[in-house]
Amino acid sequence: MISVRRVTKVYPNGVTALREVDLEIAKGEFVFLVGASGAGKTTLLRLLFREETPTSGSVIVNGHDVGRMRPRQIPYLRRQIGVVFQDFRLLPQRNIQENIAFALRVIEVHPREIRRRVNQVLELVGLSDRGLALPAQLSGGEQQRIALARAMVSRPVMLLADEPTGNLDPQNAEEMMRIMLEINRLGTTVVMATHAAHLVDRARQRVVAMADGSIQRDELAAAYHMEVNR
Amino acid sequence: MRLRTWAFCLNEANQNLLRNPVLAIASVTTTAVSLLVLGVFLLLSVNVNAIATSIESQVAVRAFFSQNVPRSQEMAEMQTVRGWSDVRTATLVTKAEALAQLKQEFGDQAKVLDTLGTANPLEDSLSVTAQRPQDVKGLASRLSHLGGVVHTTYQSAVVSRLFALIDDVRIVGLVIGVLLLIGSLLVITNAIRLGMTARRREIGIMRLVGATESLVHWPFILEGLILGGIGALVASALAYWSYVAAYHTAVHSLPFLPLISPSPVARDIALLLFVLGILLGAVGFRISVRRLARI
Ligand SMILES: Nc1ncnc2c1ncn2[C@@H]1O[C@H](COP(=O)(O)OP(=O)(O)OP(=O)(O)O)[C@@H](O)[C@H]1O
Ligand SMILES: [Mg+2]
Repeated sequence: MISVRRVTKVYPNGVTALREVDLEIAKGEFVFLVGASGAGKTTLLRLLFREETPTSGSVIVNGHDVGRMRPRQIPYLRRQIGVVFQDFRLLPQRNIQENIAFALRVIEVHPREIRRRVNQVLELVGLSDRGLALPAQLSGGEQQRIALARAMVSRPVMLLADEPTGNLDPQNAEEMMRIMLEINRLGTTVVMATHAAHLVDRARQRVVAMADGSIQRDELAAAYHMEVNR
Repeated sequence: MRLRTWAFCLNEANQNLLRNPVLAIASVTTTAVSLLVLGVFLLLSVNVNAIATSIESQVAVRAFFSQNVPRSQEMAEMQTVRGWSDVRTATLVTKAEALAQLKQEFGDQAKVLDTLGTANPLEDSLSVTAQRPQDVKGLASRLSHLGGVVHTTYQSAVVSRLFALIDDVRIVGLVIGVLLLIGSLLVITNAIRLGMTARRREIGIMRLVGATESLVHWPFILEGLILGGIGALVASALAYWSYVAAYHTAVHSLPFLPLISPSPVARDIALLLFVLGILLGAVGFRISVRRLARI
């Protein structure tokens, strides 16, 4: 599903965010990306949905060589990838249904199909009754679940989440985590960058720990910190 | 793109316009004014051009005979000239007729001529008009080589000054029109750019969820076309109707002016203004598009 080989990323300002990173993620996996601020988690995620291109090395996502992809093909890659950020990035003037439908409208899905799928994802995130509310009328936790619903409405094979619980209180963070694990259980590959140690520890999934642009540790069914006596 | 996607883009474009009504109105107004100025100058210049052309074709070339040429030779020369293909009319003006004409032109001051007594210092001449204005010069030179002719005159100075004036008017009009067009282009470009900034979030999300770049672009192209198009519509309608009105007034009060009838010229110019307005919107988008790539 994801194959990152010897990838180095140097930003135009000279900062080296990734050094010779190798990472393989299979279809259906759930992977936590952890590590100190500036370790390169966001950069790695941005390479996967072609927000950035690698300076060297190759990034293969779902069979596409993302680094060498022609610009016209990028939209079709993105339709296979759902992305959630720390800030929810909802459109403030549109209600919840329209926010989610927007993602399908701009890829020309039939209106009847849009309505059906919007209802489905609203159910998935447990907010079926809030469809007509505006984002500002929802709590932060609810807004993030809407962002998650929008990411999933195009039925991506992969979900990328960059600190999705960063702005949420513990209870909402746990609810968000529960839904993401459910999404993974239903077959979607999930990669989540996070600083939330307790969530990682509870979930017992694969953990990829980064430091200074390199992968330090890659363990299955692991915890946020290295466990010495395992 | 599908029809509903066009509808989506149009709706996005409209929302941009509504979000910034002042700028939208400014864009439409400047476009309308600059196109209207251009249109008025165009209509003015085609008409002045027509007037000048008709004056030039009516200009008579005069070929003056030497005093000792017999009348019979003068008549023969007139017949020859009438046979030329570029000649419309050719008439003999005797020196007596010329003097009478002069007296008439002097009117109240005709007494001045009485000092001449019975002497007539004038000469017999042929008065020749050309079929086409551009024939006049060649005609004059051929007439000067005619037997018995001492010199020829025509009012070339007046006509060429008129044509020079038309050129000046045309250049001034063009310069003012183009300056105004540049101004309205700036306003349109600004409106589109502001729309892009206001829609950052939408654009970011569209790209994130896999909208094609053309779908990202179209709302702004449409915005430009709407702004330019409405301005152009106003300008071409105003230009058209005011020309029709002005023409009908002029036809009654100044019937001798050879004005150009509104169809097809007013329609063509209205069409030209409309196309220019649309082009203005398209160019406005083209200038702003780089901003879109940076969002
Ligand atoms: N667009 C950019 N231009 C230049 N340098 C950047 C850019 N984005 C990130 N960096 C730098 O690259 C390095 C890695 O940043 P990155 O955002 O990937 O870290 P991170 O692991 O996501 O950190 P955090 O946990 O704080 O989000 C940092 O040193 C950062 O300053
Ligand atoms: Mg980050």
